[in-house]
Amino acid sequence: MLLMDQKMNFGPSKRAVQLSLVLGATVAALASHPGWAAEPRTGMPRVVVTTTIVADLVRQVAGDEVETDCLMGPGVDPHSFKATPRDADRLARADLVVASGLQLEGKLAALLERLGRRKRVVSVAESIPKDRLIEVGDGLYDPHVWFDPTLWAMCVEAVVEPLGQIVPAGRPRFEAAAAQYRGRLKLLDDALRERVAAIPERRRVLVTSHDAFRYFGRAYAIDVVGIQGMSTESEAGLNDINRLVDLVVSRGVPAVFVETSVADRNVTALREGALAKGHGVRLGGRLYSDALGGPQSGAETLEEALRANVDVVVGGLAGVAVRESDGGTGSGR
Amino acid sequence: MTSAVGYLSCLAAIDLSGLLAYNTLIVAAGTAAVGCAAGVVGSLSVLRKRALVGDAAAHVTLVGVATAFALTGRRDLPTLLAGGFAAALAGLLVLVVMRRYTRTRDDAATAIVLSVGFGGGIALVAGMTARGIPGSAGLENFLLGHTAALTARDAGVLAGVSLATVVVVMLFLKEATLVAFDRSFAAAAGWPVAVVDYLLVVLVAVMVVVGLPAAGAVLVTALVVIPPVAARQWTDRLGTMLVLAGVIGLVSAVTGVAISAVVPRLATGPVIVLVAAAIFAISVLFTRWRSPREAA
Repeated sequence: MLLMDQKMNFGPSKRAVQLSLVLGATVAALASHPGWAAEPRTGMPRVVVTTTIVADLVRQVAGDEVETDCLMGPGVDPHSFKATPRDADRLARADLVVASGLQLEGKLAALLERLGRRKRVVSVAESIPKDRLIEVGDGLYDPHVWFDPTLWAMCVEAVVEPLGQIVPAGRPRFEAAAAQYRGRLKLLDDALRERVAAIPERRRVLVTSHDAFRYFGRAYAIDVVGIQGMSTESEAGLNDINRLVDLVVSRGVPAVFVETSVADRNVTALREGALAKGHGVRLGGRLYSDALGGPQSGAETLEEALRANVDVVVGGLAGVAVRESDGGTGSGR
Repeated sequence: MTSAVGYLSCLAAIDLSGLLAYNTLIVAAGTAAVGCAAGVVGSLSVLRKRALVGDAAAHVTLVGVATAFALTGRRDLPTLLAGGFAAALAGLLVLVVMRRYTRTRDDAATAIVLSVGFGGGIALVAGMTARGIPGSAGLENFLLGHTAALTARDAGVLAGVSLATVVVVMLFLKEATLVAFDRSFAAAAGWPVAVVDYLLVVLVAVMVVVGLPAAGAVLVTALVVIPPVAARQWTDRLGTMLVLAGVIGLVSAVTGVAISAVVPRLATGPVIVLVAAAIFAISVLFTRWRSPREAA
């Protein structure tokens, strides 16, 4: 036994050579794989953004004059997004980094802060006056500000100056585009308010699987109830689910809403509990929360996504049937 | 201290109507079944000094969950569970092979399987998320479990599998006892030691994978380990220990569910583990106090 082991340990190193060849080939193959290779440089200034919503904001202001590179694609949950080395590389090579901020990018925050010492990192939501934000804990604010178009309009200003820094020639165009975009957001706000008025007041309860819609609820006088806590990382307690069942039943809420990027187990349990009390609850369809839709989803911009959300909410709560099937409208997938 | 007092005064204002709510009963039924069966199966694996096999199985499922999602693009429970179960079995097979054919000790082999499976799973999920594949982010949350969100169907599946597991343990109790206590004697006497060993490992894997969406990886591991260890404090007889471990698992589950139904903002799964741990602590204290010399 001992002898055999010695032979294994000190014998010819042919195996080691083979092994290192295989390893080397693997590394080479990985490096040449298109997904891993560096992206082609266009010569335009590169703006790396965190979420699709921030990407939309930058595009609204700068159009095609910068290259917008988005770290988190459609349907990605920013609360649990972890940066890979390749993401860190993209950030390092950026001319400007634009984040949403207010701890939305929970696991990216430390990296962004370090990056901020070497280059311009703009967290757009942090430019909103604190008294307009919803405080959720000691010095912690709800980051989902884009659901109130009037708040998001304040964020527009935050990117104009930094974009003008990296494309000096574009500055007047950016300012004009920003002013125009702010105007559109104001009109959107009025339009959404008008739509929500169609929901009977008692039924203005928006139940979703995580609390992303506080600003939306505040702006349009809808009670927002999430089963989970602020982030998608925490687990719901039984007491919370029981109380929610009672609320839904007592206020006659006809539908609850699942988001595109969060698991829907809690909602299923809630519907089952309500049904046991003789109150059927439909799935009102999917709402866009932390990410916009992909290409051809009809919700590629924030304006489209907010309109789509309000259509889904009004359809579910006002009694105007969107679709009777249990599966929801699936607008996000 | 003041916050504790505040918390207690909050408790006084709580109404107990949630105790008999529909969701409470469903969750209680499902977790009670898992707690009971996990206690019974766990007793055997704890005695076999394999307490962490369940933990390894639970973490390895992530690689299967990620692979199943990568292959099918679907995120529904049956797909992910199938992937998770396949991975758990494969991981345990690797464990057994490593033990038999390499000079790796039990605990080291378990640690290797656990960490490689979990690491591989995280790498896969991160890789998919980085490529912006929709729905891939947060797949690792599959391991966390959503105890409070059990549905009637979940509870039914849990109860069925738990019952089946307990029945299998009953059928093989004699063999399992022998293997657990005196492996070499069992082998010399011509018992199929390896078969019983594999069966035990598979039972743990089944228990863990089925309990995963209900309870999460760490909670399931706790239910496989803590009730048996608590039961062991009270008795030296295997039969008594199995029954006691089952009862402790069941009581922990029901008590934990009741507490989480009454107190707001308490996640159900962790409370169950804390109750089990409390029972373990009481068991140790009480049995030491009763016979300090015997418990050595």
